[in-house]
Amino acid sequence: MTEEKKTTKRLHANKALRQIITDFYADAHRAKAEGRPVGWIPPMNGLIELFYAMDIHPIFPENWAPICAAIGTNTNNFAYAEKRGYSGDLCGYFRNNIGYALDGIMEVNQPLDGLPKPDFLISFGAGCIPTMKTFQVLCDHFRVPVFRADLPQIAMEDIRDHHIQYGVTQIKRLINFLEDLTGKRFDIDRLRQAVAYTDDACRIWDEIMDARRAIPSPFSAAEIGIMFVMVTRHGTKIAVDFLQDVLEEVRGKVERGEGVIPNERIRLFWDNIPLWYNMKLFNYFEKWDAVVVAETYTSAWTLRMNPDKPLESIAYKSLVSYPLVSCLSLDKRIELIKKAVKDYKIDGAIFHSNRSCKPISMGQMDIMKVLSEELNVPGVMFDGDHMDGGRFSEAQFHTRIDAFMEMMSERTRGSIAHF
Amino acid sequence: MMGMNFRDLCERRLDIAKEQKEKNDCLVIGTLCSYVPVEILHSFGIIPLRIWGESENLHKADALLQTFICPPVRHLMALGLEGHYSFLDGIVHGYTCDAVCGLYNIWVRNLRPRFSHLISLPYMAINESSAYTMVEFGNFIKKLESFIKKKFSPESLKRSITLYNEARSLMKEVYYLKKSGLLISYADICAMNICSQTLPVEIFLPEFRKYVKTMKKEERWSRKKLKILISGSIISDTSLMTFIEEVGGDIVADDACTGLRTLLDVIPEGGDPLQSLAEYYLTRPPCASRADFPSRKAHLLEILADFDIDAVIFIHQKFCDPHLSDHPFLRKILDEAGIPHMQLELEGDGFTGRVRTRIESFFEMLERR
Ligand code: SF4
Ligand code: SF4
Repeated sequence: MTEEKKTTKRLHANKALRQIITDFYADAHRAKAEGRPVGWIPPMNGLIELFYAMDIHPIFPENWAPICAAIGTNTNNFAYAEKRGYSGDLCGYFRNNIGYALDGIMEVNQPLDGLPKPDFLISFGAGCIPTMKTFQVLCDHFRVPVFRADLPQIAMEDIRDHHIQYGVTQIKRLINFLEDLTGKRFDIDRLRQAVAYTDDACRIWDEIMDARRAIPSPFSAAEIGIMFVMVTRHGTKIAVDFLQDVLEEVRGKVERGEGVIPNERIRLFWDNIPLWYNMKLFNYFEKWDAVVVAETYTSAWTLRMNPDKPLESIAYKSLVSYPLVSCLSLDKRIELIKKAVKDYKIDGAIFHSNRSCKPISMGQMDIMKVLSEELNVPGVMFDGDHMDGGRFSEAQFHTRIDAFMEMMSERTRGSIAHF
Repeated sequence: MMGMNFRDLCERRLDIAKEQKEKNDCLVIGTLCSYVPVEILHSFGIIPLRIWGESENLHKADALLQTFICPPVRHLMALGLEGHYSFLDGIVHGYTCDAVCGLYNIWVRNLRPRFSHLISLPYMAINESSAYTMVEFGNFIKKLESFIKKKFSPESLKRSITLYNEARSLMKEVYYLKKSGLLISYADICAMNICSQTLPVEIFLPEFRKYVKTMKKEERWSRKKLKILISGSIISDTSLMTFIEEVGGDIVADDACTGLRTLLDVIPEGGDPLQSLAEYYLTRPPCASRADFPSRKAHLLEILADFDIDAVIFIHQKFCDPHLSDHPFLRKILDEAGIPHMQLELEGDGFTGRVRTRIESFFEMLERR
């Protein structure tokens, strides 16, 4: 076997990203101190644009969870959740966020000063069961005003006008609620601006992802953290400016032919959420000159917004974000992955069978089969968990991946396997 | 015991569906969860047959589903792969939990039924949501029309609604007969529930009528056993229910996907049948996958009071997100009400010694109180 090789540098943009993360939480605490409302909301929806357009600071528990996993407070939060009677089989995001919000939030000296408590909450039917239930627990715990929203789950390809119109009625209800809460009038032009920023961010995001088609690929899945702005800073110029810088950096690398590793030979696809507590796993493939160049998760932002129809745009965004990555529309997901496999010239696929996340894991066997039978792209599946290190055996991962990568190396040796 | 008829019917349900299909030259469509408007299928002359899994042979689903998916879903997939449901003409899901949603998609991809449809209901009962639901139902109807080449008839839907209303009212009456002191085992009630969800209404309704008429005349007894509520998703293991009743409990009510929750309301007759149907499905007590905490709490408190419950047994399936995440909240409500409770988690290996022992010690504890 080849000796471990070194990654050629992470993206410089990471430095800016760290600042953006720090600022996001600092802004939240400042908002709280200045008496501006802080609302906790489910991720990946069109409410964020509305929040920024109404000077409300959003907090995403689901986005806080990866941070907890990265800094290691997740295990503490799991213990709190367990003490409250929550089953260890529930999604790690759920257990972390419940544990944190109910008990962990009281701890002193938290990284990033922790989360400011919510001034209001949104409870909703939409997304997966663990997200829906997270907000129900939070609503029961924090005695703050609750807005109950509704959005049915519809497969991407089945979304019709009446679904969007229903979403719009919900958003109008929410606007009334927020006007009452803040005592301020909603300004549709500000929402238009926010929607325009999101549209820009999505467009640049696609361009950044497109740049990864280059051989060698300018960055790997290890940089997936840049997604932070797509979750927390949609609807703002912060996301647009940051992503523009990322795009320039990435394009520069492509022009100079600078890859993540010096001799890229094998290009991999990653299905399911990364193991947030063990991001260095992505570098494990380097000893075979392999790089993860595309993922399912990052495709969740392939959408367009229309600033002339801001309400419809945010309703649409709210409707599609979850189906894009979940098992709600397996055919659509397979289609997207097949396209990615062709576009990114993928040689092999890694499937993280994620014990925490049923909606993303269900259907993985079908996807693996399609890739191998229809596109002759082999795949390997390993058992893991995106939040809970106790559910992941690195030794088993190595055994599985080593065998697979040896096989991949054989397949691609000497030949240009890319079609 | 008359109830035994139902257990027998229940055992033979798939054969009956096949016979009826052949005899009447009609279609049979599988329904996932309790949110499929079966009345619509029935109005087209289709037999709706609810399908679910139990707790065995899970490994047969390994090629398509991971081991951390709940046992009922894995078992159902295994049954599907083994061809138990190959006589179905289609499958319809009324969206509930992630596991069933995944199953629906994987089933459709791998077993390729001739007809498949997913109905996405809203979670709230407000004006806009019933209008929305009518559009969803309308689309379902259009798809059925083009599939079976038959026009939808509102009159026929009205007749179907009347039949199902009667069936549900009779079923509900059985619970109240038991409450009033009739000796009816819960395993029989469960079998009746299953019959009502898997057999053609024309077959079980006459049986229900006869049964309720006879039972009404039976003698009432004063109750000695503890009144138990069972709560969970799919609870269909009759040996477990019988065991609970043997060790000293009397299961008088349930909060389960196959039981009382679906029987409490009637669909208003007269008026636009689609609108009545939409409102029925949106307003009846929601399942864990569709409920928020306040509505689950309200429903639980109502049932506890109505049936004067002494203790609650949660029967959960391992890896069941909706029920496992509601459990601590429901427990808190019971603690506040001073009602003892226990939780069983079924792991897909049937009614094991472990489960038995847990039930026994729970009843020992109750007796010592
Ligand atoms: S990781 Fe999966 S199960 Fe968990 S909250 Fe997200 S979508 Fe839901
Ligand atoms: S409600 Fe629970 S047991 Fe039923 S299918 Fe869903 S996850 Fe499985």
